[in-house]
Amino acid sequence: MLLLVVAVTAVAMLVLGFEMLLVLGVPALMVKEFFYGSLPDPVIVQKIVGGINHSTLLAIPFFILAAELMGDGQIARRLTSTADAFLRHFRGGSGYTAIGGSLAFGSVSGSAPATVAAMGRMVFPEMQKAGFKDKFSLGLIASSAETSLLLPPSITFIIYGWMTGTSVARLFLAGIVPGLVLALSFALLVWWEARKHGVARGEKASWRERLQSISRAKWALGMPVIILGGIYTGYFTPTEAAAASVVYAIFVESVIFRTLTLKKLFAITERAALSTAIIFILLALGGLLSYFVTLAQVPQAILTFISYIDAGPFVFLIVINVIFLVFGMFVDPNSALLILVPPLYPVAMALGIDPVHFGVIVTLNITVGMITPPFGLDLFVASSTLSKPVMLIISGIGPFIVANLATLMIITYIPPVSTFLPNLVMG
Amino acid sequence: MKALNALRIMERVTVVTIFLVMVTLYFVNVMSRQVGGTFATNFAWIEEAVRLMSLFLVFFGLGLALEQGRQVGVYSWRDRIAKRLGLPIRKLIDVVAVLFCVYLAWLGYGMTVFVYSTGQISPTLNMPIFWIYLAPTIGFLLLALRYALSLFGVIDRYSAQDGGH
Amino acid sequence: ADFVAKIGHLEAAQQSRHVHLEKVAALVAERTNGAVEFQIFPQGQLGQQREMTEGVQLGTLEATVAPAAFLGGFNPVVSILDIPFLLPDNDEQAQKIRSGAFGKALCDTFTSRGVHCVTLWPNGKKHFTSNRPLANVGDFAGQKFRVMDSNILIEQFNALGASAIAMPFGELYTALQTGVIDAQENPMDTIQRMKYYEVQKHLVVSDHGAMEDVVLFNPTFWNSLPAEYQTVITDAFVEVVPELIAHKAESVKAALEEIKASGIDVREMEAAEKAEFREKMYPATRAAFLSRTGDEGQSLISIYEEEYASVTK
Ligand code: NA
Ligand code: NA
Repeated sequence: MLLLVVAVTAVAMLVLGFEMLLVLGVPALMVKEFFYGSLPDPVIVQKIVGGINHSTLLAIPFFILAAELMGDGQIARRLTSTADAFLRHFRGGSGYTAIGGSLAFGSVSGSAPATVAAMGRMVFPEMQKAGFKDKFSLGLIASSAETSLLLPPSITFIIYGWMTGTSVARLFLAGIVPGLVLALSFALLVWWEARKHGVARGEKASWRERLQSISRAKWALGMPVIILGGIYTGYFTPTEAAAASVVYAIFVESVIFRTLTLKKLFAITERAALSTAIIFILLALGGLLSYFVTLAQVPQAILTFISYIDAGPFVFLIVINVIFLVFGMFVDPNSALLILVPPLYPVAMALGIDPVHFGVIVTLNITVGMITPPFGLDLFVASSTLSKPVMLIISGIGPFIVANLATLMIITYIPPVSTFLPNLVMG
Repeated sequence: MKALNALRIMERVTVVTIFLVMVTLYFVNVMSRQVGGTFATNFAWIEEAVRLMSLFLVFFGLGLALEQGRQVGVYSWRDRIAKRLGLPIRKLIDVVAVLFCVYLAWLGYGMTVFVYSTGQISPTLNMPIFWIYLAPTIGFLLLALRYALSLFGVIDRYSAQDGGH
Repeated sequence: ADFVAKIGHLEAAQQSRHVHLEKVAALVAERTNGAVEFQIFPQGQLGQQREMTEGVQLGTLEATVAPAAFLGGFNPVVSILDIPFLLPDNDEQAQKIRSGAFGKALCDTFTSRGVHCVTLWPNGKKHFTSNRPLANVGDFAGQKFRVMDSNILIEQFNALGASAIAMPFGELYTALQTGVIDAQENPMDTIQRMKYYEVQKHLVVSDHGAMEDVVLFNPTFWNSLPAEYQTVITDAFVEVVPELIAHKAESVKAALEEIKASGIDVREMEAAEKAEFREKMYPATRAAFLSRTGDEGQSLISIYEEEYASVTK
């Protein structure tokens, strides 16, 4: 009964437009009062701080800052124009550029919201000009950014690896093919949409122009070499790689391209700092919630349920996907990760599921959660960077969610898509 | 208003400085390892220090983010529901938020005092641990202040939110 | 139950600590006719060790079984256990030191830190692994060792001319694999469970670091218990120690077999070599300990040195 009151309050606050930190925080306080009244209240602050006081989480602010620097400066622009030189002569070429640009930028950026912001500013006007409907373009930009969490580097893989002890280097390799499969599914949507609406094609670029665009992007292309090379040759850990990417971005944007001024650096750093604050306060309150979830022995209940229905790996993975999708609709993706992985991971291991494969499934679910309404982080970011109403973006997101679910099925039931590459490279 | 502007500048300079110092320290850490030997050992404190700094980065940014309309939420239905029901939902949110933040700041203060009294120190830096609880104490106060200013109409955090378009 | 204690710890449910906590819980429930119930939360479900210890001080958690290595921030004196080769190899001699004047004096230092220490619990010994040879004491120089947050452990590696690199536990495997660091130290069953042997070439069975657990209760909860229940609990914790040591030895043996089967180079450290290491590391780590703990540390280390001399003679 009391639990119902808490749930109703949470949903009401969400619908009424309370800030997410209140939607997570106020119900958490109610749970504390109703069910754990005897615990001293300071435990609330202790768990809030405990939720974010981890070195591994430092990858998040660093990747956000690096992505903001590159998105604001020349790196993202040059990567996108390279993609454009190869793709624009297809019907609906700017749509493919949005995907290709997101893939290219995603391979240097570990943060999906930052990718939405960077790509949105560059690609949206082009897609508008080419004749795509706004709601399709917005949906495509928000969705394509998901690939930045599947291609290395990726915040989600780092957090999953840290929580489960799975090798982050393996996870990074495992995400590459699924990221490309996802991009392919979006490309099919672009192909369909462009045909249906007779979207124009661009002028074909000459090979000379293409080579020039690659050469202009060489410093930008140096980023993944340094990041991934640095990780796999042992110069730094994945978390440190995030800090290294900030240093590299500052160096390239200021010394090579000479566009980054101190004033700009200040503004970009401030913007990235606030993005960090917004995400971390949700992680912190998620830490508080997951503490109560543990105290209530919910993980044990899930285990009991799963052993009760006597699920094999096949059914279990369906159950996992459903749980994550439902959670992902309402909860910020990182909180979903922190709350759900601890109870579900041991079950997956008991059923003999490969931890790397499981990590890719979880990560893909997390990325879907970033575009599912009502709470979809990428939807909000697209809305605020492009000044479009959230409802317009939501109205166009349907096909992309379907494409996502199709990809999810492929990833879930064909493990080698994820595990082949890491097994090949790392044995 | 002057005081508010000064506060804003203080917060902005703080978060930017902390952030850039965090990057620098982490980079120094990587470099020191390339030198190796007992030289690298001299930087074992960096991890602990950067983690503490990240807490201040987060909590000093909360108020600014709210003021700029950047805290996330689902704002699409709020004003329509308010109109339909004739409820001052914006004011309701501000009131709930002020109470929430002041309560958490109060708890944070209690925790800071408690840990100060136990004398807990960090294992590598030997730095007092109460600092990690001072961060949310200050942060929630800064956030409460913004919600209160919004409640009394001194600042407008709503027009910048995505639902405002 | 009249008294319910939530007990949090970091290890997995199959490990010695958890298995014997369950045993203690059963003994206590039986001997108090169900009046005292222990609810055990393994694997850091209730938070990191620092949070759990703080929780025991605050009263949000009734008890925790904490590795001494994680308690230096709460009670600097407990860092004495980080000193390498502190306890003799012989289990009986070690238990004499643990349960004798030294163990009692160490336990007492927790009282002023707002927690009640019931007893020390053994939890195995640390060993070194590396990707570079560790054939003798000179080989350690220049290698990068991951180290837990502790000034004493940093000094331990300084004394050998090695780099001490701070790094979260969760990133250790990958860091060893990619070569960010060369080497690490951990108990045998951890080396096996976390598969560090897959990404290391050399293991030295050195038994150099005592992994002692400290059983801590919230004083308010403890004092609310009738004296007879307090005795029942303390006795139960002490009573299972021989079983705990045997269980640990079994899992260490099984772990070592699995590690040997992987084909990595395994070398047992001889007594003479251990003495050489102790000689090299003891003064530096002892000094680091004293500089952190002052008179309180001085008096504890005197007790220790007296006990050690009398037990090992
Ligand atoms: Na990426
Ligand atoms: Na969602």
